[in-house]
Amino acid sequence: VSRLADLVVEEQDGAVVARVSGEIDLSNAGTLERGMLDSVPNTAAGMVVDLTGVSYLDSAGIRMLGEMAERLRWREQRLAVVAPEGSRVRGVLRMAGAQDVVAFEDSFDSALRAVVGGP
Amino acid sequence: VDANRGSEAAADVRTADDERPDAVRRLRIVAGYVLLAAVYGLTAFLSLRLALVEDNITPLWPPTGIAVAALLLFGTRWWPGIALGALAVNLPITASPFAAALTAIGNTLAPLLAVWILRRARFRTELDRPRDVVVLLFAALSSMVVSATIGAGTLVLSDEVGADAFWTSWSVWWAGDSMGVLVVAPFLLVVWNRAHHRYPPPRRLEWLELFVVLALLAAVSVFAVTSDASMLFVALPFVGWAAWRFEQSGAAPAALLVSSAATWAAVGHRGPFQGGDLVDRMITLQGFNATVAFTAFFLAALVSERARSREALERGAADLEARVQRRTTELSDANQRLASQIAERRDAESRLRRSERQLAEAHEIARIGAWEWDLATGEVMWSEEMFRIHGVEPGAFEVTFDKAVEFVAEADRPRIRRNTEVALEQRRADVPDIEYRIELPDGGTKHLHARSRFSLTDDGTPVRMFGIVQDVTERHEFEREHRIADTLQRSLLPSSFPEMDGVQVAARYLPAELGVAAGGDWYDVIALGGGRLVLVIGDVAGHGLEAASLMGQLRTAVRAYALEGHAPGAVAARTDALMHEVAEEEMATLLLVALDVEAHAATIVSAGHPPPIALGPGGARLLEAELAPPLGFGQRARFGASSATLETGDMVLLYTDGLIDRHDLAIDEGLGRLLAAADANRDVDPEVLCDRILAAMVSGDVSDDIALLAVCLTPTAPGDLRMRIPAEPDALSQMRRGLARWLDAAGVPADVQGDVVLASSEAAANSIRHAYGPSRAWVEVEATLSSDEVRVVVRDRGRWRAPRGRGGRGLAVIEACMGSVEIERGGSGTEVRMRRPVGTKVAP
Repeated sequence: VSRLADLVVEEQDGAVVARVSGEIDLSNAGTLERGMLDSVPNTAAGMVVDLTGVSYLDSAGIRMLGEMAERLRWREQRLAVVAPEGSRVRGVLRMAGAQDVVAFEDSFDSALRAVVGGP
Repeated sequence: VDANRGSEAAADVRTADDERPDAVRRLRIVAGYVLLAAVYGLTAFLSLRLALVEDNITPLWPPTGIAVAALLLFGTRWWPGIALGALAVNLPITASPFAAALTAIGNTLAPLLAVWILRRARFRTELDRPRDVVVLLFAALSSMVVSATIGAGTLVLSDEVGADAFWTSWSVWWAGDSMGVLVVAPFLLVVWNRAHHRYPPPRRLEWLELFVVLALLAAVSVFAVTSDASMLFVALPFVGWAAWRFEQSGAAPAALLVSSAATWAAVGHRGPFQGGDLVDRMITLQGFNATVAFTAFFLAALVSERARSREALERGAADLEARVQRRTTELSDANQRLASQIAERRDAESRLRRSERQLAEAHEIARIGAWEWDLATGEVMWSEEMFRIHGVEPGAFEVTFDKAVEFVAEADRPRIRRNTEVALEQRRADVPDIEYRIELPDGGTKHLHARSRFSLTDDGTPVRMFGIVQDVTERHEFEREHRIADTLQRSLLPSSFPEMDGVQVAARYLPAELGVAAGGDWYDVIALGGGRLVLVIGDVAGHGLEAASLMGQLRTAVRAYALEGHAPGAVAARTDALMHEVAEEEMATLLLVALDVEAHAATIVSAGHPPPIALGPGGARLLEAELAPPLGFGQRARFGASSATLETGDMVLLYTDGLIDRHDLAIDEGLGRLLAAADANRDVDPEVLCDRILAAMVSGDVSDDIALLAVCLTPTAPGDLRMRIPAEPDALSQMRRGLARWLDAAGVPADVQGDVVLASSEAAANSIRHAYGPSRAWVEVEATLSSDEVRVVVRDRGRWRAPRGRGGRGLAVIEACMGSVEIERGGSGTEVRMRRPVGTKVAP
């Protein structure tokens, strides 16, 4: 998607899974957001954004996640963000009070469950 | 047929013979004589076989016809040939040579006379006019009296005939010669002219038809002259036919044929000529032949003439048609031109409409109002823009001259009236341009520039006044600002400061708002190298261009002396001396602060100037200098230097008295307020300090120029980080990497690094997002490290703008990451100062 971050999108159990690695800031947040949202068909239950591989995230990235959550909510689709406890990204999300706008999970599995439902 | 083509009785044509050698010419002439004589003689010999009287008179004498034709065609100078031929003919048949000679003279004289008559009558050998035929008839009948009389007389005198036979002889002789002229000569002339193409070209099969007609005529003639009845008239229709169809070409042979036949009959007593005596027969024959010849040629000439006139008519008609054609073409051309002119005019009209619209638009853009005043009716017409300029709706009221003048500022009305009156009195079309103020209904004032003209009649009577006004209010204001700014910026104030490590410089200049002249305040920063710097501020007394120009000179002088290495006191002394030299009456204050940046030492020299302020952690204090008079004050003054020591981070503030010397404030009070304002801002950078001090000190109008120079001794410890990145999102990651490397090298713990980088990037992103328009700009990031904390300053020079969207989250992140955050938003930009204690994790 850009030289700063890589995006890989796949489908799993009716959800779209986007794995981002690299850095997310003002320069690429918009592009990433479009790239991710464009990959979500109407039939998908929702989206899992895996930020495990992200080394830098700032308020632009949090804005991006917030807007994605909002847009998916209009379409009654859910968004779960994977940001393991203790990671840099998790710290930033907490600092910025991002829990108000998006749900973040410790593991991919729990995030996927949060989107598609199930045990 | 060309009507003039006929040759009128050929005049003696001087032939080419005249140019030939005499012998050859003479030979040719003699040959011509002999030839002519031979032809004459041979024809005569043949004709004599028809002799009626003795052996020498015949009723048809072709030689005379030949003679007339020859003399007509070749010229009368050929008469000797005729005379020779006649003599030769007469000698053997006449009693004596004398009689023969006499007869020959008659035979020669008669043709010459005939030719003379014909030429006098302007006879044309083509015989294509009726008058030619009449003339020929007359010439034949009259001139042959000569030959007949001489011939018959000679016969009687030489006793060849009896005297009683004189008239018989005479009549036969006369008839023969006349017939020769009337029948044979035309025949020869026609043949000759035909051969020389003097007639219209023959029609198709004309020769055949002619032959048929002549053959028929011959048959009829033979019948007529052999039948016992008098049937000669039967030949006439055929003669008429030949003449009518073939004109001269038909008439000549037909007449010859019929005449010959009749003559033959008369000679042989045949047909109609069986009875009667010789004279009767001669009269009948003569009458018949003359009638035939005359009728034939006359008819032919009539036909020719008619053909000519028909042709002329046809040519006229063709000519007329051609002219009509040409005229029609001209008319259609004219029509076309008219059509294209109409089209052009239509084009021009549409262009005119377009240009009128453009003019109105241009007026609106240029704020030009147009007006017109009809002097006779007193009617005044304003354009829409004119109304708008006067602050009223277009057409809001009926404009009159007086009404228009009411808008004009009281003070300017006399000028306007005078301007108009002078032009009216002098009957001049030109009215001088004038600038005046108008007062608007809403109480505002505008400056208008007016140009107008009178429209005069031929005798110089003004009938109309018209003109434009331009709203130059903005220009007035702009020009004033522009003049000041331009003069000061370009020639007097430094546009940039020398870059020097460890020093940060900021300056401000505020022009006085009253008056239009530039002031005399100036400042300067001179880098001397080796970490030495001279700060200069000065104030030339007075305003205006003179003060400004002196200021420029002083600035240059100070700079030059300083750069030459003089100590501040000497610089001041030399500048003072120079001022006595160049501007005796003027005075100026001057403050010099020489800074040794590394030694943190300042040397201060003041020439009547307010003292500088030092601003450090301990507060603001005045740096007292030795008292010295202003430059140009009097006798060569001494300018003593005083010293001061400064600390890193200390700021030195130089200013002119406009800042503290205000009409509403005592000078001590002003200085006190300045010290307080500086004291309150000891931790800001020079730019911010300048802004704050101006904000604190200046309210409302600036009555005197204010110059302000702030210099900060910044830390120069190695390891400080300064970065300047383009204000673009793409530059953020580069900045983060640079900052992270610096933090890493400084031994800052990884978790603190992450927080500092995050906060700095957020701050820079904020600058990028909020501070600038889309044009190119920069964001500065500075990081310093002390023993226990990291300080980062992120600075932009843009105008701060309220954050759009969710801007608060970034700030939350910054605050969460750093121990202390200050955000400074000023007119010159925004500065975010962040501190983060090392070793203490601040974020929750």
